[in-house]
Amino acid sequence: MKLGRSVKGIAIAAVATLTLAACAEESGIVENTSVTAAWNQAFYSFNQNTTNGNATANANILYLTQQSFNYYNDDLELIPNTDFGTYELVSEDPLTVKYTIKDGVTWSDGVAVDAVDMLLHWAALSGNFNQGEAEYDAETGQIIPSDDVYFDTVAIGTGIELVTQTPEIGDDGRSLTLIYDEILVDWETIFTSAGLPAHIIAQRALDIEDAQEAKDAVLAAIQNADGAALKPIADFWNTEFDHVSMPSDPGIVVGNGAYIVTDFVQDQYITLTARTEGYVAGPQPSIETITVRFIPDPLASVQALANGEVDITLPQATTDVLEAAQQLSGVTILNEPESVYEHVDLVFNGEGPFSAAAYGGNEETAKLVRQAFLTALDVNEVIDRLIKPLQPNAEWNQSQIFLPGSPGYDEAIAANGSEAYGQGDADGAAALLEQAGVATPIDVCFLYGSNNTRRVNEYQLYAEQVSQAGFNLVDCGSETWGSLLGSGTYDASLFAWQSTSTAVTASEATFRSNGGNNFTGYNNPAVDALYDELKVTFDADRQREILIEVETILWDDAYGITVFQFPGITIHNSDLGNIKPSPLSPQFFWNYWEWTAPADAE
Amino acid sequence: MLAFIARRLMIAAGVLIAASYIFYLLAASSGDPLEDLRASTQRNREQLVELRTAELQLDVNPALRYFTWAGGAAKCLIGQCDLGEDWRTGQPVTTMLGSAMGSTLQLIGFASIFAIVVGVAVGIVSALRQYTGFDYGVTFAAFLMYSLPSFFVAVLLKQWGAIGFNDFLRDPVIPIPALLVIGAVAGIIVGSALSGSWPRKIAIGGTFGLATAAILGALSATGWFLDPRLGPVVILVFGLGSAYFVTFIAAGLNNKRALYTGLAVAVIGAIAWFPLQEAFRFATVWMVLGVLAGLIAIGMVIGKLAGGPDNRVQMRVGGLTALPVFGLLFVDYLMSWWERYSNSSTIGGRPIATVGSQTPQLAGSGYWVETLDTFTHLILPVTAIVLISLAGYTRYARASLLEVMNLDYIRTARAKGLNERTVVMRHAFRNALIPLATIIPLDIAALIGGAVITETIFGWNGMGRLFVESLRLVNLDPLMGYFLVTGILLLIGNILADILYAVLDPRIRVE
Repeated sequence: MKLGRSVKGIAIAAVATLTLAACAEESGIVENTSVTAAWNQAFYSFNQNTTNGNATANANILYLTQQSFNYYNDDLELIPNTDFGTYELVSEDPLTVKYTIKDGVTWSDGVAVDAVDMLLHWAALSGNFNQGEAEYDAETGQIIPSDDVYFDTVAIGTGIELVTQTPEIGDDGRSLTLIYDEILVDWETIFTSAGLPAHIIAQRALDIEDAQEAKDAVLAAIQNADGAALKPIADFWNTEFDHVSMPSDPGIVVGNGAYIVTDFVQDQYITLTARTEGYVAGPQPSIETITVRFIPDPLASVQALANGEVDITLPQATTDVLEAAQQLSGVTILNEPESVYEHVDLVFNGEGPFSAAAYGGNEETAKLVRQAFLTALDVNEVIDRLIKPLQPNAEWNQSQIFLPGSPGYDEAIAANGSEAYGQGDADGAAALLEQAGVATPIDVCFLYGSNNTRRVNEYQLYAEQVSQAGFNLVDCGSETWGSLLGSGTYDASLFAWQSTSTAVTASEATFRSNGGNNFTGYNNPAVDALYDELKVTFDADRQREILIEVETILWDDAYGITVFQFPGITIHNSDLGNIKPSPLSPQFFWNYWEWTAPADAE
Repeated sequence: MLAFIARRLMIAAGVLIAASYIFYLLAASSGDPLEDLRASTQRNREQLVELRTAELQLDVNPALRYFTWAGGAAKCLIGQCDLGEDWRTGQPVTTMLGSAMGSTLQLIGFASIFAIVVGVAVGIVSALRQYTGFDYGVTFAAFLMYSLPSFFVAVLLKQWGAIGFNDFLRDPVIPIPALLVIGAVAGIIVGSALSGSWPRKIAIGGTFGLATAAILGALSATGWFLDPRLGPVVILVFGLGSAYFVTFIAAGLNNKRALYTGLAVAVIGAIAWFPLQEAFRFATVWMVLGVLAGLIAIGMVIGKLAGGPDNRVQMRVGGLTALPVFGLLFVDYLMSWWERYSNSSTIGGRPIATVGSQTPQLAGSGYWVETLDTFTHLILPVTAIVLISLAGYTRYARASLLEVMNLDYIRTARAKGLNERTVVMRHAFRNALIPLATIIPLDIAALIGGAVITETIFGWNGMGRLFVESLRLVNLDPLMGYFLVTGILLLIGNILADILYAVLDPRIRVE
């Protein structure tokens, strides 16, 4: 049946709307190129700095829509983005850092990005203007509205709250100087962006029309600590950026990054389109649209890849998923371990077999028992049987502090003495126990997540390994292992730490005697002293030396043993180029501007 | 009856409250909402733990925390529902439930209608052909489907139904051996479902099989799969066929007035094709529903005008015939969009989707494209649910009809000389439906909360997914919201089943 001309016209128009793409005027963006990525959780907030919005599902998207002063590459090096702006360490004591936005950097609505945005970002993150404690509604868990100013920030404790003086603005309103009350050697990763558009927030919260007037109002409110004006700003910042579908207010999607959200359907997908005008704040991407589809089931995302519905996915690594992916043609499988690493810790406090208290306060005996235990473990067996099927190039993670592949790792493992452990040397372990003069078998209550199959398997392997050396592993596995950490109800624990940055002082909380993550009761004054020194050491080489010294002490004390990094599998359509997965968030998104994809034929 | 319903409702409310308390305690102990923070090395971990503990009142025993939730839920009675919120996204539970119910109802609605119609039809035919090859075949297939785990069915459907079919569409030519196999299978199914002598079975089955193979071969040779269309002639032929079938079932072919009514509706449908080509261009949901209602009305009016002693039967035939005729017209016009849809750059020639409920960037492309897109996303999850629930309906329909067919009054009906169609359709079938009517409400209520695996694998964000996701994150408020909705639906389904039973079968008293 032939269609009439008018029908055809409508048809063509309709098809055009299906495929219509904004014309790319500037060089760089290739027309009709698109990438569809799968992610296991839906995006839900344009503000990743509230306690609610702080999640990788949000961070990935915002990485594409908001620029920052620096980013991590796939070698876990922190790279400054000088297209967006520069930052410099003005003084070490007091710690003073000056941030300058590059001239010409604009929000996607054309308004300039400037110091007022950074100032509001600081005011929000630091919680310095917060009055009183937030009260949460008993029924809903929501913050109860009160007359108090309260920024529901997730950043308290990261160091930004130590900037208590209102920062100075300079360089025609493009620079901001933060002065910290304490010295923080990780200053580079504390304050990294311009946050959310101040003019958008003030226009809506204070009911101002003009963008510049709005910025001035924010500036005045912060400089005068004007609670009446800050209150609506904080309320807007807290809640108005939470959206599970396309916001009706176009201001919410305003960003200063390479992409802007153009379509967002609840629980289905979010589409970002490259900015064609005024984007100078970073490297130019070539992909015109990036769509992230929310697919929770790992196998489903692989089948969607097979069916051409998605181009790239980072499914939870299981053998099913890997086998399914290996059968596909035209896809590339990249093994890049995650920044999560499994480790066995021994408990120092209490009366357990690894504590001095069990041997009448004899530190040496306890240390020998710990060394014997770690010597008897065979990490290679665990890696060969549980990890290599998923990641053939998996290796033993030999550092308590450095992530494999990050700067310093190779140096650290050469020096830290870790090779004495974890090789399944039952005879050596037995000899150490004999030297310690303790009666065998020694019962070791071993805590792990019993609802995690891999950990159950690990437990069984470890139990077998250490039994030959004279240890009797007692199954203390629990589904609520997380809440048992540090409770003193076990002698050794198996779980994983997740790194979110390569911050120099990140390990302090774990190994310092009173650290917040110290669940083992480990207490070594030498380690504490090294961390004291580290906290005021700005020289990168010396920082590394200190950390390696800490490592060496930890291994010598037989603190515990690191085992493996969680395997990660990034699978992508081979048509895509330059995909380089990174272990840290935002994973494979980190180099979006380098991606290449063929243009859709139309 | 009213006293009965009131009593049942009271009991149901009590059950719901007690169950919600138990469910709350179970859900609260199902995991650790702080788990992600416990293994985090973030510098401000302790502050985050504190904040979340305060927000979720983790320091209050769940046995008491329940009452703060129940207090909010109780406000539903005065129209101010406060079911809390998802603590991660800050989204109110009421909105989450609304959107999850919407997509679940779409999925379950299509699947249930399909499963009931096909399941009952197959069950009845297999009961009428008890102990034949067809009966054994259906029984075997039903149990096979029933016993397959749904995640397995889902993955296979994606592999063959989506990935395989889309690969086929790249060069849609069915090879001759495949045609012969399809023809043979179709012939055997039809032949074995027929009654009568072997030569008759072989002749009709064989003809049907050959015709199937020939038509498929012709379609494949002409590239019909890439740009399908029915056209007025095919619509007329199928419409006339439907008219015969509907008349046969509902009135008997001896009722000439009814038959002519049906045939007239089919002819009108074929004629309506021409104006509809223009009209459908401006289609909206309401307009399409309007066309359907119009056709049904026309059918009933024709039945009425046909006169005769019992024009209610003719009206029924007219109205019922309008349904397949409308379906043909709708599908035909939808097909005219297929090629454009399939070849658009977002679809890229791979129309059948494995995941999600819509293709990105298609919204706003008009009614027909969006409808097609919904169908290409619905077809696999619906098939998965149908395959599994079909078995139950088939078995129930078969067993129930067999039981009825052995009753004395059926023998009486036969003895007084009624023809077999009247005996089966008017006397046996209706009574055989009574047990089914009591199963269906409960079944649908259970499906709404229970399509967990299907929804997860197909990325369909309905109630099942809401449940699984919330449970994974120990997100109590959405979990309780889910429980409330599915619990209430199940209780209502239960009461409804009891009442329906009493209404349908006057022998049952519900006092």
